[in-house]
Amino acid sequence: MTASTRLQIAQTRLIVGLEIHIELATRSKMFTRTPNQAHPDYFEAAPNTLVDPVVAALPGTLPVINRRAIEMSMMVGLALNSEVAARSKWDRKNYFYPDLPKGYQISQYDQPLCVGGWFDLALPSGATKRIGIVRAHLEEDTGKLGHELPGGLPFDGSLVDLNRAGTPLLEVVTEPDFATAEEVVLFAQELRNLCRFLGVTEGIMQKGHMRFEPNVNLALTLVDGTEVRTPISEIKNLNSFRSVRGAIDYEVERQAKEWIATGREQGRGMKSTRGWDDEKMVTVLQREKEDAHDYRYFPDPDLVPVEVDAAWLAAVRSEMRELPWTRRDRYIAAGIGEKDLRQLMDLPSLCDFFDAAVDAAGGTSASAAVAKIVLNAGARRANESGKSVAQLGITPGQIAELVAMRESGSISAQGADQLFGLACESSDSVSEIATRAGLLVSNDQGQLEAWVDAAIAANAQAAEDVRAGKLAAIGRIVGSVVKAAGGSVDGKAAQAMIIKRLGGGP
Amino acid sequence: MIADLVELRDEIRARKTTSRVAVDGYIQRIEKRDASLNAYHEVFVDEARAAAEIVDAKIAAGKPVGPLAGVPIAIKDNIVTRLGRTTCSSRILENYRSPFDATVIERLLAADAVLLGKTNLDEFAMGSSCENCAWGAVKNPWDESRVPGGSSGGSASAVAANLCAGALGSDTGGSIRQPASLCGVVGLKPTYGRVSRYGLVAFGSSLDQIGPITHSVRDAALLYQCMAGDDPHDSTCAPRPVEDVVTTLEETPRVFRVGLPAQYRTGNSPAVDQAVARAVDAFRALGATIVDIDLPLTDVGISTYYVIAPAEASSNLARFDGIRYGHRTKSKDAADLFDLYAQSRAEGFGKEVQRRIVLGTYVLSAGYYDAYYRRALQIRGLIKREFDAAFSKCDVILGPTAPTAAFPIGGMTDPLAMYMCDVYTVNTNIAGICGVSLPAGFDETTDRRLPVGVQLQAQAFEEPKLLKIARALERAIGGRATPTTVA
Repeated sequence: MTASTRLQIAQTRLIVGLEIHIELATRSKMFTRTPNQAHPDYFEAAPNTLVDPVVAALPGTLPVINRRAIEMSMMVGLALNSEVAARSKWDRKNYFYPDLPKGYQISQYDQPLCVGGWFDLALPSGATKRIGIVRAHLEEDTGKLGHELPGGLPFDGSLVDLNRAGTPLLEVVTEPDFATAEEVVLFAQELRNLCRFLGVTEGIMQKGHMRFEPNVNLALTLVDGTEVRTPISEIKNLNSFRSVRGAIDYEVERQAKEWIATGREQGRGMKSTRGWDDEKMVTVLQREKEDAHDYRYFPDPDLVPVEVDAAWLAAVRSEMRELPWTRRDRYIAAGIGEKDLRQLMDLPSLCDFFDAAVDAAGGTSASAAVAKIVLNAGARRANESGKSVAQLGITPGQIAELVAMRESGSISAQGADQLFGLACESSDSVSEIATRAGLLVSNDQGQLEAWVDAAIAANAQAAEDVRAGKLAAIGRIVGSVVKAAGGSVDGKAAQAMIIKRLGGGP
Repeated sequence: MIADLVELRDEIRARKTTSRVAVDGYIQRIEKRDASLNAYHEVFVDEARAAAEIVDAKIAAGKPVGPLAGVPIAIKDNIVTRLGRTTCSSRILENYRSPFDATVIERLLAADAVLLGKTNLDEFAMGSSCENCAWGAVKNPWDESRVPGGSSGGSASAVAANLCAGALGSDTGGSIRQPASLCGVVGLKPTYGRVSRYGLVAFGSSLDQIGPITHSVRDAALLYQCMAGDDPHDSTCAPRPVEDVVTTLEETPRVFRVGLPAQYRTGNSPAVDQAVARAVDAFRALGATIVDIDLPLTDVGISTYYVIAPAEASSNLARFDGIRYGHRTKSKDAADLFDLYAQSRAEGFGKEVQRRIVLGTYVLSAGYYDAYYRRALQIRGLIKREFDAAFSKCDVILGPTAPTAAFPIGGMTDPLAMYMCDVYTVNTNIAGICGVSLPAGFDETTDRRLPVGVQLQAQAFEEPKLLKIARALERAIGGRATPTTVA
């Protein structure tokens, strides 16, 4: 093929398959009892404090499988419509590197835990695209290599931190079914959501809880109708959605240019491994040929195969938490609005607290009212304190009481917000707290009249406007009443009284 | 005749002697003999005395003590101990100290045993002569110009020279039984999965087992029983209860069948064939039925073993990289990471270990895996089936432990000839069954008479039957002998 015909690309089609590494948030590591850095209790562990003889690969140590890691992986597999293998086994992937204490990584080579499956990806157009799942298998993470002392002090040499070594790692591999970077990112986000809702990972991208490796190439249709495919490049270790998108976009350009320059096509020994430079937003060649490494996989003689029987599978299935898409549908049906929905679905723990509060408040019909309180008073306080709503101290039962009191008009909107704060500090019933704090709405009409009259007098111009029919001005007067009355007056009642006194309105 | 472990234990318990006296006696003999034998890497002189005194005090106070009360035991130096170093007879672990005890060590200590020291071995248990040792070869106490066998040659030599009451070895292809045979002592390789491997520095993980090397079958039974059983640290350990093999040991089965494989009769020295014949006669006299069996895969065992074991070893020994512990090169020529690995390992590992790492790496390489490793696994399955068929016809298989008695140090230079020393023992490991070697005669054709052992093999988890039959044979053919050089 001459350079001139090579230039004649009529159409470019992107082909992407994705490998995703998920750090499971088990309490202990994959093959030993030492705590796992991907579990929230150990996020801040000092370097090399999550190390025992097994992690350091001291002579004589042996791995023992973490059953919980297998169960978490089974959950992800089931959610992805995979078949959980009745028998899967462990293999050693052999290579030397200072962050790999044993000189091999325990992985699953030819008999993975989860086989096949699919994910129906909802596209922004409203259409659904089915993404094939090849497999999902378990392995262990490596340690980390650094060149700085803690605190960023310079060090002449390399340092090894083995805290991450042995963290359970679930690797999901998709079919090359993605046609745009957008689809890849959407899927990546959905998978993260799924895993967080299943409770199998914290999914904090900055901590590397999820790392993505797209395999990218192009199908080029030439003007003469023939199709050629560019060599596949695998982009390693992307840990943000931005980098996933950036790397794929960059590869589309690069591979087309390279094909024009070299005419090299997909084929044996042509696959390359590339890294991502997050600052320059470019991919960088790491390794030219896929067979440059011979990992000498063989079955790990220290471990017995994993055998999953029907009873175990059923137990795991019954323990699985509600899938995010089911949950979303349920919230939509319960009348949760778009904004609230987004806020809820961003945080699995918030959803759980919300559901508990809805239950306490009498069920689905209370959803909207509960959402109002949980997502305003609750979310704001959670944000300010850096805690989750569930950790603020208020109970779902107290939320239910707040909702009921608000519905009956016995507390005002402002009172409800104050009561939320007080309930975070007290386990008493909300009505007791409200009584103590004087936040119950007063039924004293005379008192209300007095507040209203004082507010009208203090806002003469607004009163004039309301009389002239400009009802929008009433807000000022209501605000003034509420301010004077504290939480003990209901805004709606105050508004009705103002209208009555000013003689305007409907 | 020297006391065996059970006799010593009983005397200590009965306060006819003390553990301290026993320890002192062994230390004295070690001081006298071990400079030439080189069976020990390290003797825990002070620690053993202190431990002995604790047991003695317990006994004096009438407190309950364990089944190994006060008995000094030597440990092969590829089993990790908090006490002392664990070197595997390799420069790469010259100064290595383990922060934990192997499961078997915990169990011995729980039974009130006293750890006497660490014994020499072929580097990382790779060898059949104890000549592949970083700090000198071990000698056979029956004739110091000869090898003790290997790789547990230090343990076998120490037991034979009465430098300990009993010892632990490890057996990947014959490393307990062959030196036991060459040193005239008893060596038991338990069924794979019967004794925890946690704390045994791995060589061939699917083949390795820890077992006892002792003066008598009853000693082997006792040590075995103290060590055997499931371990949460070892997933390949069998989750099944351990039968009492000690109190039932003298109950010889009324009817049993002894299988004689046709393939175990060629290439042996006359003394070895005579020892087997003597055992056959003894079994006949005991009323056993002798049945001819067929094990046609006997001769492919060695080639199968030398694919599987080095493959696993090449991976198991990758952790000795000079990064976290062990020898790291001091050479300034180590320009990059690869050089650091290559030079550290080239300096740290001996020739035989390097040979097996290269061999194992090769058989696992892309393009060779199917031809070697996969094929070896297939043959492994066939060998298992062959034994299953044989054990449908007999209770135990009788044969030589090794083709010859001890050979001269430096006398076997061809590695392949050396590998053939294990022709009768490797298949036990490949099939994962159990086997025991016990003394059964002497080779009188040499300058000094040399002990010759016979081997009994039994189906997996049939240790109770194996040990009863071994005990019956031991009774019938005279039991223990002592090398003339033992003072």
